[in-house]
Amino acid sequence: MNSMSSPAKSAPVIYLDYAATTPVDPRVAEVMIECLRPEGPHGNPSSMGHEPGRRARALVEKARQQVAASIGARPECIVWTSGATESDNLAILGVARFHADRGRHVITARTEHKAVLDAFKQLEKEGFEVTWLKPGVDGIVRPEQVRDALRSDTQLVSLMHVNNETGVIQDVAGVGAICRERGVAFHVDAAQSAGKLPLNVEAMNVDLLSLTAHKSYGPKGVGALYVRRRPPLGLKPLFHGGGQELGLRSGTLPTHQIVGMGEAFEIGERDRESDVARIAVLRERLWQGLTAIGGVELNGHPSERVAGVLNVCFHDVEGESLRFALRELAVSSGSACSSGSDEASYVLRALGRSDQLAQSSIRFSLGRFTTADDVDRAIAIVSREVARLRALTPTADSNGT
Amino acid sequence: MEPEYSPTVVDHFEHPRNGGRFEAGEGVIKGVAGSLEQGTMFVLSARVAADRIESVRFEAYGCPHCIAAGSWLTEQLVGLTQPELRAWHWRAADQALQFPMQKRGRLLILEDAVRALSEAWARLIP
Repeated sequence: MNSMSSPAKSAPVIYLDYAATTPVDPRVAEVMIECLRPEGPHGNPSSMGHEPGRRARALVEKARQQVAASIGARPECIVWTSGATESDNLAILGVARFHADRGRHVITARTEHKAVLDAFKQLEKEGFEVTWLKPGVDGIVRPEQVRDALRSDTQLVSLMHVNNETGVIQDVAGVGAICRERGVAFHVDAAQSAGKLPLNVEAMNVDLLSLTAHKSYGPKGVGALYVRRRPPLGLKPLFHGGGQELGLRSGTLPTHQIVGMGEAFEIGERDRESDVARIAVLRERLWQGLTAIGGVELNGHPSERVAGVLNVCFHDVEGESLRFALRELAVSSGSACSSGSDEASYVLRALGRSDQLAQSSIRFSLGRFTTADDVDRAIAIVSREVARLRALTPTADSNGT
Repeated sequence: MEPEYSPTVVDHFEHPRNGGRFEAGEGVIKGVAGSLEQGTMFVLSARVAADRIESVRFEAYGCPHCIAAGSWLTEQLVGLTQPELRAWHWRAADQALQFPMQKRGRLLILEDAVRALSEAWARLIP
């Protein structure tokens, strides 16, 4: 590393990677810090026999209500986890394994997050049959595709609400209605939609819903799984131990993390409409600026998308050079969870993009703290660097003499 | 897992020398290798006079190492005779730019472009 230069330039980086993770909202940090002070609620929330424990428990239950309220659920349906990856695994493996004697067919889409894809691959290893639905070129899986894939032995359908790479919104209510009608459990990974779209598990007929705090201005390391309780769903836990969370997730509850998630979700729901309206204007400003460069295409559906995400491919620019040239911007190519390799995004490939265009795609994601100045500076940097690289790109007549 | 780039690569990537190409004409030769589809392509064009290369320009499509290699090469080839150009080997670029092992195949494409340039020169001077 000694002879190698750090890829980062010295100029301050413009953060446009909110879909990877968000900064913690200062209001959230404040309530978390209070939990960590010596005089704070340091008791184990499961120690109901003394005051410090009961104090911590009260805060955990308040947070449970805050998160439940943001998705139209009853608080007892919220199970604390370490994040969306654990929630996805608990939902998918938990339901499939619990009901394995009734059927071994499960359904998901090729464009799901790795946490879902790999949980389904694990089920394949355990003898389950998986139907991998292919979205259209707009990134959307039609509810009819799910209906057509359902069988008498189908136990579970899992579909994400908002795609982490493209921001495309799936019709989860449409899929939920079909699953409910057929008596099949329906899981939704909502990591990217909390605080961005209205969520109501009852109206959407969702049985299991994965949430995470760190994409909604809360801390990393905490999440939740909504589990329908009436009628009981049947779920095998992943962890065994103290039997916390009604036996579904053993392990001491991290009070400060949970309090942070509760606060983040309450703020997220309260400020959702104003946040979304402001971010949508900024995203449109960014899109107009990028299209002015020319040779730029949007990845995914043009309108069925969340406000904050803009995934675009740049023609005639090689992907790695583009990413290195744009290192003044904190942006992503592919998902942050799997990028770092030369491999083209499997999500964009599933949408029909060539390897080359998938590699030359950048996800810009905006959030609560993005400013118009951030956007304007980003447009200027992208315009300059794309023009610079394209000036070096061989043209169509390069093979001529 | 960010790729690592040597200071020479960063310098040439940020400030590429002699980008572009010479239009076809007297004393101008060209060598092309690779393709956009395969992710790496080099176009070298040079002016030759008095049995030596006078100046070189490059176009490149590829990773930062490739852009840098094209730029670096334009400075290295100036003054070379035809036999010296024919003898050019990719290891010279590898030593100067510290290509990662998995990218060395791209230097063979660069060497192919130099070879094509050399062959074009041979056709120019029988």
